Amino acid sequence: MKLNRPARSPHTETIIALIDVVFFLLVFFMLIGRMDATAPFDVRPATAVTGRDMPAGGITLSISAQGALALDGNELPRAALSPALSALLADDPELRLRINAHRAAELRNVLPLVAEGEALGFKDVVLVVTPETDG
Amino acid sequence: MMINRPARPRALISLVPMIDVMLILLVFFMVTSTYLNLDMIPAVKPSEGSAGSSQSPAGTLMIRLGADGVPVLRGTALEGGTLRAALAAAVAEEPLTQVVILPSGAAQTQALIAVMDSAVLAGVTRLRVLRLEAAQ
Repeated sequence: MKLNRPARSPHTETIIALIDVVFFLLVFFMLIGRMDATAPFDVRPATAVTGRDMPAGGITLSISAQGALALDGNELPRAALSPALSALLADDPELRLRINAHRAAELRNVLPLVAEGEALGFKDVVLVVTPETDG
Repeated sequence: MMINRPARPRALISLVPMIDVMLILLVFFMVTSTYLNLDMIPAVKPSEGSAGSSQSPAGTLMIRLGADGVPVLRGTALEGGTLRAALAAAVAEEPLTQVVILPSGAAQTQALIAVMDSAVLAGVTRLRVLRLEAAQ
């Protein structure tokens, strides 16, 4: 005996809803995320209440807790830092230097770099911090 | 006489390639973006030198920051809240009070930022960080 299977009803789901969701997610991640180069080591900046919003642009000098350096995500030895900064500054004299030091980095590894940046001619040297609510 | 033109088949544009592209973009932004909320504190103030020289001399407070991260003001170790109160009292007495921080090289960055935070919250407008260099 042969049973007649009832014909399947055509799919009524629309993919428009899926496109909407994906589009919202795309816009969300584009707005929320920052496209900064990340350091090849762990860097957790110090927390501060009085920090100001950091605009985009500039170069980021990351300093690990042990004193390792990375310029825009590329690790480099201490001796190579000054020539690299000079070359970047020659291209753009108004360049901002962002020093992203790990909160546990010793100041003997941080403050000399601030002074070096200033001596090279950087007019805008900032310390990167993460916001902390005033308790 | 009326000729019935056969109805054109409705043009169908496939949405699948667009969805593919959007998904690739979505994954790209999710993977490459960082989501840390970052602020900044100026380390070099261009106007600091000229402003300091043009204003009348005022009192200067020196905060020593030890290797353990504890700030010492006038020989007394002060924690965050106490330091802020002491600085606020000094600023209330002399608004142009200059605060100089002399940190130990072994102190951590967080300790320096905390002292700078306390000073700014206390209303200090003239803040300097000194760094001792080894003699050549």
